[in-house]
Amino acid sequence: MTRAKAAMEGVKLKHLPSLISTLKSQPQNQNMLRIPTSSSSSTSSLLPQASFNSNSFSSNQSLFLSNYAIPHGSRKLKTLRLRANFWESIRSGFVKNNNTTQIVEPPSTIDNEEDTEPLLPVEFTLVEKTLQDGLIEEIIFSSGGEIDVYDLQTLCDKVGWPRRPLSKLAAALKNSYMVATLHSVLKSSPSDSDLSEGDNDQQKQQKKLIGMARATSDHAFNATIWDVLVDPEYQGQGLGKALVEKLVRALLQKDIGNISLFADSQVVDFYQNLGFEADPEGIKGMFWYPK
Amino acid sequence: MLLGGTITTPPASLRLRSNLNPQNAVAPSSQAAFPRQPPSYSITDEDLQSRGFLLRRTPEGLNLDQLNSVFVAVGFPRRDTAKIEVALQHTDAMLWVECEKTRRPVAFARATGDGVFNAIIWDVVVDPSFQSLGLGKAVMERLIEDLQRKGICNIALYSEPRVLGFYRPLGFVSDPDGIRGMVFVRKQRNKK
Repeated sequence: MTRAKAAMEGVKLKHLPSLISTLKSQPQNQNMLRIPTSSSSSTSSLLPQASFNSNSFSSNQSLFLSNYAIPHGSRKLKTLRLRANFWESIRSGFVKNNNTTQIVEPPSTIDNEEDTEPLLPVEFTLVEKTLQDGLIEEIIFSSGGEIDVYDLQTLCDKVGWPRRPLSKLAAALKNSYMVATLHSVLKSSPSDSDLSEGDNDQQKQQKKLIGMARATSDHAFNATIWDVLVDPEYQGQGLGKALVEKLVRALLQKDIGNISLFADSQVVDFYQNLGFEADPEGIKGMFWYPK
Repeated sequence: MLLGGTITTPPASLRLRSNLNPQNAVAPSSQAAFPRQPPSYSITDEDLQSRGFLLRRTPEGLNLDQLNSVFVAVGFPRRDTAKIEVALQHTDAMLWVECEKTRRPVAFARATGDGVFNAIIWDVVVDPSFQSLGLGKAVMERLIEDLQRKGICNIALYSEPRVLGFYRPLGFVSDPDGIRGMVFVRKQRNKK
């Protein structure tokens, strides 16, 4: 991972502060965290609390997938049904091959748990917490790629990356298959429905880019993740993990069979915990005349 | 995305030298403002042509079923040709060698990326009947050159262990500075 090292500086996965200090009254499972939908995200966001709790995460990777509560309501069920059909259509288009040395895995190797996974919405709230002064802070994930290149430049500066020309940054983003972002939105009032137009404007001003990850791809077989970064002020909260995990999920749902990345030695463990394997079957990453 | 305003362009050496991502640091000579000198390939275009091999850089004239056969011949999975077509449409650069006699592809390589910083080379294949003729090297040298000409400094790939020796003389280094290539493995997640 080209820049993951800088991004994950200071990430302490051993102890995680409890992010979710207040919640509206919503039914909760032990492992489920239901985030109330705000006006900015049109679909509900279901996230296992495990994503921000390193203990449970490291001990049970499948929490992400298997403990998704099947949402009630016809809308969600429709989404699930759509998902199953999607998989069937993909499966039939794939020719199996018994060759053992290939990296690309046909979707038939995915087990049933993932088949029932709800479609990931493009944008949803990851975390919501109440700050001391009564402000509500929402961390919003989006795979829609809406990102201001100046904000990105600022973020890259914050993590200490060398400057790259803005035009090139913009081009790189434009040419990326998927750009995932984390934004922090500050709200003054806890209630979505009470927000007036004025408050909405207020919200927009308080929207801050705090994380990004992007992936390039050939739109069919392979995707490679680059440039994973999280604002140092927001590190240590599991946001980097969530960012990558959601990006991977979004890529998988586009039926990209091979997701790869290059990780600095210090963050190999970080990605291993997210389901990545280094040098699978002895396959080595190589670079042309590095340095 | 907003553009315009002052865009800082740091000197090439400052931008390339990085403690964080060594793979982006390349010898300054290969950075922008590419000096126009004739590239020195192991085998020249003319030499290849005289031996009945034509170099191609677009998918035009490339029979995907025949390409698929070459993939299978070297041990890759046979893929849906419709998907191959999509992949080729979203490829930054590609190179293939056409056997003039048969019109069939005998060597192939392609690269994907963001078009400015990074590129990954995939699917480097040479038909087993045409291996050891220098075709793979010819394809790789030119693909790298094409990527460089676009200004892409970070060129990477994933190599099976048995062909590390093919890439090294071309200038590829494995795990530079301890950087590891990693691949997402779904099964692993569900095991725990």
